[in-house]
Amino acid sequence: MSEPVKTTRIPIVERVLEANDQLAEAVRADLERRGIFAIDLIGAPGSGKTALLEATLRALKGRRRPAVLVGDLATRRDGDRLARWCDRVVQISTGEGCHLEAGQVRDALTQLDLEGVDVLFIENVGNLICPVGFDLGQTVKVGLFSLTEGDDKAAKHPYLVTAADLILLNKIDLAPHLSFDRGGFEADVRLLNANVPILAVSATSGQGLDEWLAWIDGRSKMANSGATP
Amino acid sequence: MLVVHEFSIAEALATQVLRHAPPGRRVREVEIRVGAMRGLEPDAMQMCWDAVTHETALAGSVLVMDMRPWSLACPACGRVWESPVLFAECSCGEVSPRPTAGDELDLVSMTVDEDDDEAAATATGGEAGAS
Repeated sequence: MSEPVKTTRIPIVERVLEANDQLAEAVRADLERRGIFAIDLIGAPGSGKTALLEATLRALKGRRRPAVLVGDLATRRDGDRLARWCDRVVQISTGEGCHLEAGQVRDALTQLDLEGVDVLFIENVGNLICPVGFDLGQTVKVGLFSLTEGDDKAAKHPYLVTAADLILLNKIDLAPHLSFDRGGFEADVRLLNANVPILAVSATSGQGLDEWLAWIDGRSKMANSGATP
Repeated sequence: MLVVHEFSIAEALATQVLRHAPPGRRVREVEIRVGAMRGLEPDAMQMCWDAVTHETALAGSVLVMDMRPWSLACPACGRVWESPVLFAECSCGEVSPRPTAGDELDLVSMTVDEDDDEAAATATGGEAGAS
């Protein structure tokens, strides 16, 4: 019988996503230097991420200079929809990837003319779990939920709720037709993230969009002055 | 194949382990620590680790996961305890203890074969690892 193999344990302690985090920090520094407020928009498939961005870009015409990165598994449809409202849109096809990573954002940004841009929307891949742990170099994370998904989705996705700087509750115009327990949803959010603002919006009726735009304006001013909320 | 974030994490981990592993020493075990906030599924992670390391220098290595629990703090009685689940009642009857957890995702250690010289030195009564 052969001798058991002798082994040595080597302690390390290093973040597993260190490489992504370093790329994200470089993206963040570049965006800050250019004065660009970057929003990582995270929500489930069908929650209305693209519809919300369409309405947002339409409303921002003449007010801000936006650019958009849009992550999608396979198609160019989201990018094509958004290109109607904004001339600086880059589609990132992730193939089988369930989330965007910092390297993809860095590469996509090289395809954009960022001169004069003051707000960057990054539409993440439709997914409430995978994108949260991957820093993209964004200024803020926005978690988008919608009434049609059900009122338990905040409780089931604690990482997103905890990490979010803003919670949007979309499709609020459908409230009369659905038995969505808004109080319960907001209580779950509050339990995980006591001070996060929650805005009810409708990308289709336009309800709540003014508050959403005011939040973007307020937080960008804060970011540019170096203040923290 | 179901695409999960465990796969990306397993890929990043494998790259990281290969970077840290001493040349020519077989990696037997890789230990990571995972905060409950990450929502990592141990079974999915194990499956992805096996898939990612298949037919590489890390093939057959054991992934040890130290899954850190949620910490619940009761706003009524002040009790703080560890819980595997996010929402749980306190023993005092309070139904909304506040959950917190880390989002750490760290490579903690790796266990590798001692190299042949060290092993030989140990077998003959010499000091292992002495330079």
